[in-house]
Amino acid sequence: MSKLHKEKRLLDINGAGNPECLKEIRREEQNRLVAVLSAASAIELVEELNELHDALIGRALKLAEIELARLGLGAPPVPYAYLLFGSGGRREQTLSSDQDSGIVYSDPEDEEDAERLAHYFRSFAAMVVDYLIKIGYPPCEGNVIASNPEWCLPIGEWERKLDSWFAEPSWENVRYLLIVADGRRVAGDAGLVERWHQRFHRDVQGHPVIARRMMENTLRHKVLVGVFGQLLKERYGENAGSLDIKYGAYIPMVNVFRLLAVQAGIAETSTIGRIRALEQADILTAKEARESMEAFDLFLKLRLLAAAKDEEGQWIGTGKLPAEKLNREWKTPLKKALKLGRKLQRQVEREMRYRFGGR
Amino acid sequence: MVKKSLLALGALLVLFPSMAFAADGEGPTTTMLDMGLNALWILVAGILVLLMQGGFILLETGSTRMKNAGHVAGKTIFTVGLVSLVYWAVGYGFAFGGDAGEGLSKFIGIGDFFFNPPIAASDGDSYPSTIFFVFQLAFAAVSLSIAWGGFAERAKLSVYLIFTLIFGSVIYPVIAHWIWGGGWLADDGSQDYAGSTVVHLTGAMAAFAATILLKPRIGKFNKDGSANEILGHNQVFTSLSVLLLWVGWFGFNAGSAVAVGDGFFGYVAFTTQLGAAGGAVAALLISWLVKGKADIGVTLNGALAGLVAITASCAYVEPWAAVVIGLAAGVLVFLSQQFFEKIRVDDPIAAMSVHGAAGVWGTLANGLFATPALVEKVGVGQAGLFYGGGGHQLWVQFESVVVCGAFAFAASFVVLWIIKQVIGLRVTEEQEIIGLDLSEHGNYGYPEALKKSGSASL
Repeated sequence: MSKLHKEKRLLDINGAGNPECLKEIRREEQNRLVAVLSAASAIELVEELNELHDALIGRALKLAEIELARLGLGAPPVPYAYLLFGSGGRREQTLSSDQDSGIVYSDPEDEEDAERLAHYFRSFAAMVVDYLIKIGYPPCEGNVIASNPEWCLPIGEWERKLDSWFAEPSWENVRYLLIVADGRRVAGDAGLVERWHQRFHRDVQGHPVIARRMMENTLRHKVLVGVFGQLLKERYGENAGSLDIKYGAYIPMVNVFRLLAVQAGIAETSTIGRIRALEQADILTAKEARESMEAFDLFLKLRLLAAAKDEEGQWIGTGKLPAEKLNREWKTPLKKALKLGRKLQRQVEREMRYRFGGR
Repeated sequence: MVKKSLLALGALLVLFPSMAFAADGEGPTTTMLDMGLNALWILVAGILVLLMQGGFILLETGSTRMKNAGHVAGKTIFTVGLVSLVYWAVGYGFAFGGDAGEGLSKFIGIGDFFFNPPIAASDGDSYPSTIFFVFQLAFAAVSLSIAWGGFAERAKLSVYLIFTLIFGSVIYPVIAHWIWGGGWLADDGSQDYAGSTVVHLTGAMAAFAATILLKPRIGKFNKDGSANEILGHNQVFTSLSVLLLWVGWFGFNAGSAVAVGDGFFGYVAFTTQLGAAGGAVAALLISWLVKGKADIGVTLNGALAGLVAITASCAYVEPWAAVVIGLAAGVLVFLSQQFFEKIRVDDPIAAMSVHGAAGVWGTLANGLFATPALVEKVGVGQAGLFYGGGGHQLWVQFESVVVCGAFAFAASFVVLWIIKQVIGLRVTEEQEIIGLDLSEHGNYGYPEALKKSGSASL
């Protein structure tokens, strides 16, 4: 995409006065991106798509701040940062991703202040989430979202929360840790997020066994390729014949590189960024990194292709690639990529067993 | 202790010959003892085969949904009762009656209708005809229960009644006569030791005809042709059913020796176990390899397929061949299930794959693996292709599969087609959704679990 167009788009977004305008910009831009989908590199396309999402979310935050001020709550009383988790955190949002988010803000001075800050940021979060729904980002089904008070906290409480999750790595807590491992600042104060990241990585170093728990938590998503190299497609139901690209290819790959990155203390949250950083840290060889990158590029592309428009023209993603879209040209590289995914998954499994013993 | 045992042994040695001499005088003769032993074993085997109905009840109920459980389970008891009466009145006569002329008896037996047997075996009989009747009846009932797989969850109760009358009196007896009752396939030397074709393929073909005419259950297939999975409500029932059938199968196969004699029935039991084991193991492994998950349902069907396949060949093949026959049956049943789903045939109990495909394979396997020594022992047909018998026996086996399969299918199809035209085969859509427990019997098999108001979501 031309630099000119990018700048114009940013101007449009920052000039938008309400969520409806933003929704319209999003619709136009996404249609433009879909048109070049099969030709472009998926990595670049996803990068651009996520720049679009970031800009839209950033503008929604601004609009919410303005609206709160108009309602008499004033400007944000202390610095804050808006965090994205999940695919947003990894800069891998699709055309139909939902909101996984949180807010971190400066510690209050006393109890009275704490209540005041909590009141402001909860109202703010509710407004932002509402705006984003209007722009076409559905709320997170698992309630990992800024408007949930559990995910909208001052930095001190965030640190205590992280510590408690590491101290008690139950299934649910490990799930939370996997979510926050992909956490990224989309707007707001960088220092707060830096503190937040440092706490996470300090805790990882202090609890090495968390790596195994993380792996166990993600093992149920197997790479969908069989012993004979055959694709393990859906057998029954409306999606019979389709391949679950999201959970059978993309997510296992994300899980492998998240785990390796977290262990190595790499703060990068996008999968591609993690692969690059792992290569630089000599954890992956140049060949492994290149192959992984190629495989992941294909998964990203197929994941975008798996999206479809519903009756109202909204993009919906089942994550399942229909049989008719699995054309011959992609079958061979897909099988190769899936085999690599399976190999990596097993490698990590073996390494964990070696380090922490079997169970 | 040792002293005492030796004393007892010595005493027995002294006593035993004198007892044997005493028998010459007033006790049973050795031929009578032989007859008695045969009788005892055949009756036990017949009871084992009858107990297989418990397996079919659990198999069919476990593989279907809760709302039909009482109906599916209970109707088997009813049809076993009904087929007993029909087989007694007519079926047995058509299968084994000896009054037909030479030409006619190639195709059907005549005589012994409303069977009224002598109360005991007469001189020269190797077993009482009463016991042979009970044993044969149990086989007819098994074949019928196999057929019900194709009717499951949608046929009217009245259809079960009418079809039992025809199947028990004509369809099954005619095929039994062809191969076992001295009919034309028996003359050709068709080898079907315990009924891969006679019992299993016949039942499966009736199921096939039924499922074609009944059409798939509501919700089984989508408009675009893709299938939905309608899971059975109790995998524990299904697993137990396989064990019951497996145990019962020792009566089915080893009982088909209809003699104790030199203990050959033990060899039959031995190959039966190997075949079943091969089927179970191969089915789990193939489903694991191909689908990425080890499928319990396929494994259970694999064990049954192994049993079905070894049924024809259990007396004719060497142990290694029994294992091969079982393993191949396990793989075959997995592929066959996928095939039937692909051609949009709804087969809830997998009757066509387990009893049909594996039945065909087991019968054909004789043409490959039958050994000269065992063929001589049993006294039917010739050795198979791999034992220097050439293609002759394989051809005979092929012929009996095709002819019996075609007859069973055509006859069942015609009968069911007529029933369909006259009274209809299938319950209404509403009844099917509410469940046959309520529509056919007025009560749920699981009353506490299901509300009588009949929620459509079931």
